Amino acid sequence: MNMLNSFVPALAFLFQEVESGRLDLMRKAATNPDLSKFLVIGALLFIIGVAGVLTRRNIIVIFMSIELILNAANLNFVAFSRYLQETGSVNALAGQIFTVFVIVVAAAEAAIGLGIVIALYRNKETIWVDEIDLLKW
Amino acid sequence: MILSGYEALFFWIFALAAIFAALLTVMARNAVHSALFLISSLVSVAALFVLAGAEFIAGVQILVYVGGVMVLFLFVIMLVNVGAEERGRDQIFNKQRQVTASLIFCFLLVAGVLYAVNEGYAGLKRLHPQPEASVGPPAEQSGPPTATGTSVMTKDTERVGGSLYRYASLPFEIASVLLLVAIIGSVMLARTLKQEASADDVDPDTLQQEIARDPELAQLEPQSE
Repeated sequence: MNMLNSFVPALAFLFQEVESGRLDLMRKAATNPDLSKFLVIGALLFIIGVAGVLTRRNIIVIFMSIELILNAANLNFVAFSRYLQETGSVNALAGQIFTVFVIVVAAAEAAIGLGIVIALYRNKETIWVDEIDLLKW
Repeated sequence: MILSGYEALFFWIFALAAIFAALLTVMARNAVHSALFLISSLVSVAALFVLAGAEFIAGVQILVYVGGVMVLFLFVIMLVNVGAEERGRDQIFNKQRQVTASLIFCFLLVAGVLYAVNEGYAGLKRLHPQPEASVGPPAEQSGPPTATGTSVMTKDTERVGGSLYRYASLPFEIASVLLLVAIIGSVMLARTLKQEASADDVDPDTLQQEIARDPELAQLEPQSE
């Protein structure tokens, strides 16, 4: 709950972004979300994932935060793909195709990472990253 | 890309759901709760994909992430979880100094990224005035009055499949090789010492040390001969 208070400024930023100055502009922006709203949501998901990677001790939760980061990137790809489709770009679907590859790599990464976690747990009997300090000087 | 009407409503619902579920993923004390919140965050992001007109990506997201990757995560949590976090005995976050430093870094990143999104989007609107020109009343469109392109099933899936094989066939094959390597690698990584010994895949010196500790291993080795 202490962390929740820390994230309130980020949400305030989101709403400030929606406001964009005046009331009618705010209403128009809130009732017509556009590309920048998708990008802001992607940025917030990315930051939450980075915070999870940097602060948690449980290695499995760190892996889940990495999945969040990859998902934020996917959201940006899809939003830009939609935007480029409406501007009539010839290569508008490249974003969606790249997203498929990101999902493939995320699946491979999860399989390998969880295999490493199981091997690590067998040898060190811990899943907490601050106790895995064999290489630490 | 402008969403309006019910699409805007659903956009805000799913966006807030995704962000709050992501926050709870990072903050939950129990790893199983983290996984369940991550599943709801991924489903909300899949709904945002549908709103952005990428139905195929949304389907792949739910099938691969929620159906495959998260089940794998839950299995590993059940295998590995020591249960200490549930009892609330231990800290779930790192030391206070590290947490503070990384949160300060994250807030700088938030400020920088939001500033860059605003600036970049203003520049993009100057570069491509067409999407702004379509902001007018939706009655100008030829379809039904409420259609903005996302409420109908598009032919995007067909086009994504076509260009996946036409323009991205080499990365597609490389991805299949990557998945094969990942399968074999994870099977190799997760073997126990007994399985490695019975496949005669252990360094002889290490094997002697381990036999001294666990005599059962000595019986395993001749089986592979």
